[in-house]
Amino acid sequence: MTSAVAYLIVVPLLAAAGGWLAATRSRRLAVRISIAGAALTFFIALFTLWQTLTGTPAAQLSLGAHWGTLLFDPLSTLMAVLISGISLIVHVYSRRYMAGEQGYARFFVLLDLMTAALLLMVSAGDLVTLLVAWHLIGVLLYFLLGQEMTNHSAHRYAAWTFLTYRFGDLPLVLAAVLLYQAFDTWSLTAIFSALSTAPDTQTVFGLPLAETVATLIALSAFARSAQFLLHTWLPYTMSGPTPVSALMHAGIVNAGGFLINRFAPLFVHTDGVLHWIFVVGLVTAVVGSVLMLAQNDIKKALGYSTMGQMGFMVMECGVGAFSLAVYHLIAHGLFKGTLFLGAGGVIRQARQNDGVPKDDLYTFVVERRPARQRRPWLLMAVVTLVVPVTILVLAHWVVASDFFQKQGAIVLLFFGWVTGAQLIFATYRMRTENTWRLMGLILFSFTIVVVGYTLIAHAFDVFLYPDEVFRSQIYASAGIDIFWFDILVILVTLVIVAGWLVTYYAQNNGGRRSLQASAVWRSFYTLIAREFFVAAAYRRLSDALLGAASRLNVLLRWS
Amino acid sequence: MSLIAYLLVAVFLPLFPLSMVFNRVFAQVHNTWLRIALLVGWPLTGVALLAVLGDSPPQWLVYWGVATALLYGFRALALRDLALWLAHLATSVWALMWLPAALGQTAGTLPAALLAFAVPLALLAWLTGHLEKLFGAAYAGALGGLATDLPRLSWLLVLVVLAVIGTPLFPGFFALLGMVKELLPAMPVTAVGVLLVWMLWAWAGMRMLQGLIVGDPGGRANADIGLAHTGILGMLLAMFAAAGIWLTGSLV
Repeated sequence: MTSAVAYLIVVPLLAAAGGWLAATRSRRLAVRISIAGAALTFFIALFTLWQTLTGTPAAQLSLGAHWGTLLFDPLSTLMAVLISGISLIVHVYSRRYMAGEQGYARFFVLLDLMTAALLLMVSAGDLVTLLVAWHLIGVLLYFLLGQEMTNHSAHRYAAWTFLTYRFGDLPLVLAAVLLYQAFDTWSLTAIFSALSTAPDTQTVFGLPLAETVATLIALSAFARSAQFLLHTWLPYTMSGPTPVSALMHAGIVNAGGFLINRFAPLFVHTDGVLHWIFVVGLVTAVVGSVLMLAQNDIKKALGYSTMGQMGFMVMECGVGAFSLAVYHLIAHGLFKGTLFLGAGGVIRQARQNDGVPKDDLYTFVVERRPARQRRPWLLMAVVTLVVPVTILVLAHWVVASDFFQKQGAIVLLFFGWVTGAQLIFATYRMRTENTWRLMGLILFSFTIVVVGYTLIAHAFDVFLYPDEVFRSQIYASAGIDIFWFDILVILVTLVIVAGWLVTYYAQNNGGRRSLQASAVWRSFYTLIAREFFVAAAYRRLSDALLGAASRLNVLLRWS
Repeated sequence: MSLIAYLLVAVFLPLFPLSMVFNRVFAQVHNTWLRIALLVGWPLTGVALLAVLGDSPPQWLVYWGVATALLYGFRALALRDLALWLAHLATSVWALMWLPAALGQTAGTLPAALLAFAVPLALLAWLTGHLEKLFGAAYAGALGGLATDLPRLSWLLVLVVLAVIGTPLFPGFFALLGMVKELLPAMPVTAVGVLLVWMLWAWAGMRMLQGLIVGDPGGRANADIGLAHTGILGMLLAMFAAAGIWLTGSLV
């Protein structure tokens, strides 16, 4: 029954072909075929996942002599359910949303092809199949984003996306070829097996193979998952249809996290690569979140929010929590897909009610509601700092009492604490009529989220990487010297607490700043408003290159 | 083997500045079938000459080939005339054929890799000729909006350009992958050069497609190619892709 994994790719391909043939007779029939194909694919994906959960061992299916191998394993079946599920939702949503658009049937054909390419990517069992799928996703995304054939702007940014993806494709090609040269096979299973027996294999220029290939794979993942400096395509592709944005943010942009997970048996043999993956993820998370706050366009804000989330996902890989990254990409896929598909409704609602909170004086005098209050700040500070960490430690302790020995777990715990504390801090600043009730509800939901997250993350860990030794190896390869680790944790804690104090002081001070501080703030705001000038720099570079090519053509008389 | 003999081959597997000969000749030819004959026959002459000469060319010619491919790939970025773009892309592709030749693959891999690009280039020449017949010139930007006006021709144009720039599942992809695979252990820097060429083609291809198919319709709907032509060309492309997948054993 492992052959079901082949149907995952064949069914959407058949749906695309059927839809394309039917489109000349009836657009509605074409769309029905496409949706039926998406539904069937989803059920097949559920079936394959159920098989894995019930203990069917991992297997591979070879469709060709040199390439075309498909993997049937926990990672591929889990990802297949996510992709086919989101694809089905997008199909159903698009049936009415895209009905008035030109190229209605073409859109569904492309959607089916994209689903097939994504499913091929997650189940690829050899490097050539992976490369084929990886390349095709970039090409298909270009045409999906440029669905509106009269919109130059949509196509300009679609091309930008395509180029970034192509830039990311090249390191993966190099990585694939280096692995082939080292082990004389394209098969992932054979490569990982050979690598585990000879982890110190060297490659071109005498470089260590594992580190070199891992670096190239990480670069490829960064381009696909919009990491800082390779992120500009993500927030600018909002001219494309909303269902495509949903699919892109929920299913395609996550490919970086998947790729790192797929190559986990390679990353365990690396030394230091995961550290800089963590740093890139951290920078992306911070930059993405900051830029998100500065946007006034809901779709662009969602774009930067995705960038921040992708930063977190890559960070999780960087601390060795590979399976947590998979959980994160699934959770993010679901909530971001929902947000995109609901963006239109939010915009319509905002036109009727802007949702801006009313002034305290207005609610007290005009609406005759009691003034909102705050609790003593010292008490709240203690609650802010102590409660989240207690909940987090207890939740982690339930699933693994030895988690304190894993640096990755500590880092994630730290982030959980910061997030929880930030939430309570924000609640304190909100001023409500009944602070304790609100606080109680928030603490309750926080507890549910943390306990749920911890338990599910642990379940993912066991499901995706059942070998406990391998799990420990991943954490070990992400570890750093304990002294420097402690120093970093203390330093970051101080920075965050100082940030809270500054925010508190600024608010109590009525937002007044000294002239010098105002100038610094304005410069910072300009920097954020111009998105750190990254997109502008790329535009300049591209204009310069095109200008140079043009001058060269004139000089050489176009021959 | 004498330098003169290599220089003669370098006219047909073009190396800059000898590549200017082909581009000048191509610019003078306006007949579609003659263009197709040039696109297929010119590099095959080079391959045949290499086979007659016997020895593998020296390494410095490989570097020259990659530099030429980079130069023409880069110049194609700024071109708006489809015929000129086609000639530049062809020059860039053929310059890369020195790589399998230098690795001693003149018998099997080199002609296969050449055909992987020559076939879509020939198809693109046919489409270019059709556009020139209809509108006087196939000029990106001036001829925008083809996707709405001529959907069948646009579909074919998109697929053919994708085949030319080495997109999977077309054979060009496997040919380039095979080239990088053979080059990387012997000449890693050159292999990276090939990847850069690949990227330049993709950029140039997207720019050309955008200039041709995107834009407001111009009321030219009756100028689209017939169903029969679309079917034949579509079948040709499908067979070409299938053959590419079938033959990847020798390329990958």
